[in-house]
Amino acid sequence: MTTDVQTTTPSSPPTDQLDSASRLRRSLSLLGSLQGYIGLVLIVLVGIITKGQIFWNQQNLTQAIGAFSSRGILAVGETLVILTAGIDLSVGSILGLGSMVSALLLARHGLSPFAILPISMAVGALCGFCNGIGTAWLKIQSFVVTLAMLNVIRGIDRQLSDNVSVGTQIVTSNGTLTKNSHAFQAFGTPGHNVLSGVNLPFVGKAGIYYPVLALIVVVIVFQLLLSKSKLGRHIYAVGGNPTAARLSGVNVTAVTITVFTLCGLLAGFAGPIDAAYNASADPLAGTSYELDAIAAVVIGGASLSGGRGSVVGTFVGALILTLLDNVLGLNSISDNAQLIIKGLIVIAAVVIQRPDFFRSVVSAVRRIPIPTRARQSTSTPEES
Amino acid sequence: MKRYRFLITGVCVTAVALVATACASSAPKKKSTDASGNKVFVVGYSQSNNAEPYRAQLNIQLRYFMKQYKNLKLLPITDAHQSSATQVGQVQNFIQQNVDVLIVSPNEPDPLSAPVQAACAKNIPVIILDRSVNTDCYKSFIGGDNVAAGKQAGELAVKDLPDGGNVVELQGILSDQPQIDRDKGFREAIAANPKIHIIQHREAKWLKESATPIMQQWLQQGQKIDLVYAENDPMALGAYLAAAAAHKEKDIKFIGTDGLAIPDGGIRAVQQGQLSGTFIYPTCAQEAAATAEAIVTGKTVEHHQTLEVTPVTPQNAADLYAKYDDARFGSG
Repeated sequence: MTTDVQTTTPSSPPTDQLDSASRLRRSLSLLGSLQGYIGLVLIVLVGIITKGQIFWNQQNLTQAIGAFSSRGILAVGETLVILTAGIDLSVGSILGLGSMVSALLLARHGLSPFAILPISMAVGALCGFCNGIGTAWLKIQSFVVTLAMLNVIRGIDRQLSDNVSVGTQIVTSNGTLTKNSHAFQAFGTPGHNVLSGVNLPFVGKAGIYYPVLALIVVVIVFQLLLSKSKLGRHIYAVGGNPTAARLSGVNVTAVTITVFTLCGLLAGFAGPIDAAYNASADPLAGTSYELDAIAAVVIGGASLSGGRGSVVGTFVGALILTLLDNVLGLNSISDNAQLIIKGLIVIAAVVIQRPDFFRSVVSAVRRIPIPTRARQSTSTPEES
Repeated sequence: MKRYRFLITGVCVTAVALVATACASSAPKKKSTDASGNKVFVVGYSQSNNAEPYRAQLNIQLRYFMKQYKNLKLLPITDAHQSSATQVGQVQNFIQQNVDVLIVSPNEPDPLSAPVQAACAKNIPVIILDRSVNTDCYKSFIGGDNVAAGKQAGELAVKDLPDGGNVVELQGILSDQPQIDRDKGFREAIAANPKIHIIQHREAKWLKESATPIMQQWLQQGQKIDLVYAENDPMALGAYLAAAAAHKEKDIKFIGTDGLAIPDGGIRAVQQGQLSGTFIYPTCAQEAAATAEAIVTGKTVEHHQTLEVTPVTPQNAADLYAKYDDARFGSG
């Protein structure tokens, strides 16, 4: 009998058991490869289960992503900086300055949106360049430089505006909006789309909401920049090991300055979106946006010590943050409960997305004494 | 390269130091007489946070009204950036300078009580604006009444919805006293019509950018909304943007509060028909200047002055805007 068991155990019946175990393992490792999206999928599922059509329709999703778009764009820039093991705390202020510059150019100088966007981007890039100089050349820690610049830029913003918000809906004497003011709404005033009339995939002829379009384009462009270009490889190299990067011929100073400049450029790019979304530029616009941006980057799987992360991951992180807010809001959860739930879910999302999470689950599954159970289950029929 | 870096840092530091000394030396000295030999009294004003539009308006108006009194000289207004610790230091500075009148908009009551008492102990008359301190030694307290502001908004809601209806409420930061008071007053007033229900209320932190997505979510839920009450104008206008995007702005009434006379403020929005009404929460600047004048000329002043809240309607909006026009006060 003992010999029987010994011979049968490794053969046919246990392979069935092992099959299901390995199937479980295989599905777990499949989940593991998709784990970056699991937090997002769970939130979407909760949204669909609790609110169905009210949550899962194009309008609601557009509104939810549109509300976070400017912070999402900041997060893309922040990803580049964090990949080099730096941090940029000034992005919220740069966005505020970009928003104020845009509104002032529109309200006081009547410039067209096509002129406003590049100016705002240039202003942002200049701010980012200063951050880069401070970090790479003056060798001040990026945390300190950008914290200081946060105040400097906010001060300039408030000085420009006299602490009074500036409206972007400029009304002419006959009660209609001026031409440029009307055009400016396309940057993201709720209910105003771009490319309407053109037949587009998914959305048809209704047009597309510019903040959403802008975020997606920025994500694609910068993901390609990171994964396909030499600069992208250098950014990972600098963040992974700056000394090794320097020894292998990477100009670390230039990479750092470029990264901060791009981050500022993107914040300047997001400025008009914020101004149009609020139909005004507030002197405090963008305050604490840097925290949301950094949160999106980290939830997206980037490491604050540099060298690990991706723009697509950041995009997922941004979606998690904004859709979570949307789902909780649609379910009319109270404000205080929302704070608690949001915090806990962010922690859960980061844990689930940790690269070794599924490996540890898999090894835990492996350690479950399946063979023992197999032995028992095979031995019972023989005994009977 | 390294030496250049050192050089540039040195140049920067020197420049900053020079600018700082220049600023310090140009800071106005306390003068006891003006050119014609009349006595001039120096007034110091400690503002809790310049960056709130209401307080920016207050600063502008205070400078304007102070200029109306030839015997008063307002020192540069200090900004505590919403930090009580900073404000304590700034008030102590004014006490060191031995100003003739000290005006304080306290950031928080507890931390500011001690320096206000210190000023009283040095016989400096103190005027407190809008927020309270835990001491009674000041000459005069001037402030508005947030419960009344909320109550009047509620009365307007009752008038706007004679047959009752669904109301949503956008709240400021939940722990802020103006939020608590405006909410209380509003709920008391709408109780007059039991057919008015607050179906949703959420914290939008006084911000337009937070109010828009919240309103979008409410509209998305599909409940009928008849009226939006926002505890300040930016939140009301943020909700208006969301409703306009859904083409529902004509079916919903919007009520705000604050009524700032700036191009982007609530009075203009009432004029343009976006808000059905707002309420001017007084900045207290005119009264503060008058009280300072009364104190230095030895007149008695009321210990506690509560100012009226002015309702803004489509009928009086143009006149009120002209009266409080930002431009009239200049931005200096």
